[in-house]
Amino acid sequence: MGRKKKDKRKSRGRSRRSTRPTAVDYAYRKAVREADRALAESQVEIGADNWQEVALDWFTADARDRGELSSYIGSHKSRLGIGWARDLLRLEVFLRAGDHEAIMAHHDRAMTRYPRCALVDTWVAEQIGRQGGDWWRARSLLLYVVEQLPGHARPRYELGFQHYLLGDFPGALAWFDQAVERLAENETDFGAQVHFNRGMVRYALDGDRKAAIADVQTALRLRPDYEQAQEALRGLQGKPRWRPW
Amino acid sequence: MVEDQPIVELQQLWFPTRASGERSFLMNLEFGVNQIPKGDELSVAEVAWSTGDVEEALSMLPAIVPTETRGRMKQLLQPWPTGRYTDAYHRSGGILNLFTPSWDEAQDEVWAEMVAGWEATTYPDDETRQEALNELEQQWNASPHPFFSGLTPAQVMVGGGAREQVLATEFLERIAGMLDGRPFRSEGEALTHVVLVLRAWECEPRRRGMTPRKIIVAERDMLLARHARVLEGATQPA
Repeated sequence: MGRKKKDKRKSRGRSRRSTRPTAVDYAYRKAVREADRALAESQVEIGADNWQEVALDWFTADARDRGELSSYIGSHKSRLGIGWARDLLRLEVFLRAGDHEAIMAHHDRAMTRYPRCALVDTWVAEQIGRQGGDWWRARSLLLYVVEQLPGHARPRYELGFQHYLLGDFPGALAWFDQAVERLAENETDFGAQVHFNRGMVRYALDGDRKAAIADVQTALRLRPDYEQAQEALRGLQGKPRWRPW
Repeated sequence: MVEDQPIVELQQLWFPTRASGERSFLMNLEFGVNQIPKGDELSVAEVAWSTGDVEEALSMLPAIVPTETRGRMKQLLQPWPTGRYTDAYHRSGGILNLFTPSWDEAQDEVWAEMVAGWEATTYPDDETRQEALNELEQQWNASPHPFFSGLTPAQVMVGGGAREQVLATEFLERIAGMLDGRPFRSEGEALTHVVLVLRAWECEPRRRGMTPRKIIVAERDMLLARHARVLEGATQPA
């Protein structure tokens, strides 16, 4: 009897240790509670009859992205539902708040339970790479995304940015070229960023000042108040002076 | 009054990540073994390559060099393999690669693509097949690699020299002045910021159309040429 009791205690102890929440667990739970509060304040009510519409309305206003998400929902309807829509909305709250730790935790703990969504991976990869500093994980997500979203500029731009960080300027230029080709008409601010960075890489690569100026001018046409582009244009037209992005 | 007292120069550097701080130690060891004393004298690395005797090379170091450092240097001074320089994955890659998060064969898309091409090819016999793989390994060693900041694995293996050391110090002092104490939302953000500064810095025009990147690549090529000469000398009969 005594031995049995001892074994039982041991087993309980082990079990308690392995399930004890960590500081990261607490932080994530807190973030989820706050996201739910924010959703409640926005009077979001997700039900069996509207979860698809709510997800679409909340996640993106862009027609192309809505189309992608709609097609994703159509393909995986049986595995999605109210729970998925709530998780997607929570992710959106984290993205809007720029809470990179919550974004990455939520992706790992919640979004990976559902079929993979390239649109979600695009946004999360940016956070994992730029805020999490995990370039290789971000890269693997982005390489998947570019295959799934052949018409999207953003993941290609992110890969170009990553190649630039890696010091691979030819690789960066190739991805920026692909991003430029896929820019949608309504992507003006983002388009300015893509053109500006392509111009800078062209200059870094082989000192092609003419091509760099053309790109920076396009960036300024798309976004006239783009300070970095204004400064870069002055530099490119005068004495060379390099500035970080 | 006592003049000419020993002077201790303290230097405070700033690194965005622990890994980059640790890698800077390796980078400095690589600079150390490539230091060319004077005139025709050989560096520690060159003594190791020419004699094949790492211990002899290490005996050139001052006694004050700690055991742990000697151990790390010993690893650096091992003869290079005849095949693929996989050790390049574990070298610092110098200042151009100092901040790149660690990676190895698992992330090496270039090598994976080369191997996939080789595997998809039909060869008349095993010998030809093996020769093709050997050639591929040499090709990998000598090709600029996108994940090594455009350096070849051979340029990574050889390590940096005195000019790169000066440039690396200049850059690290610059970021320490610019960024130490500056708040960042995350380690990743600090890393991204530093690397953006690095990529801009390496393209800054210097004298005679040179940039830090060009200076670094030229010096590594010079060290590789010395490496080849030293090995050639070592294999020739006395």
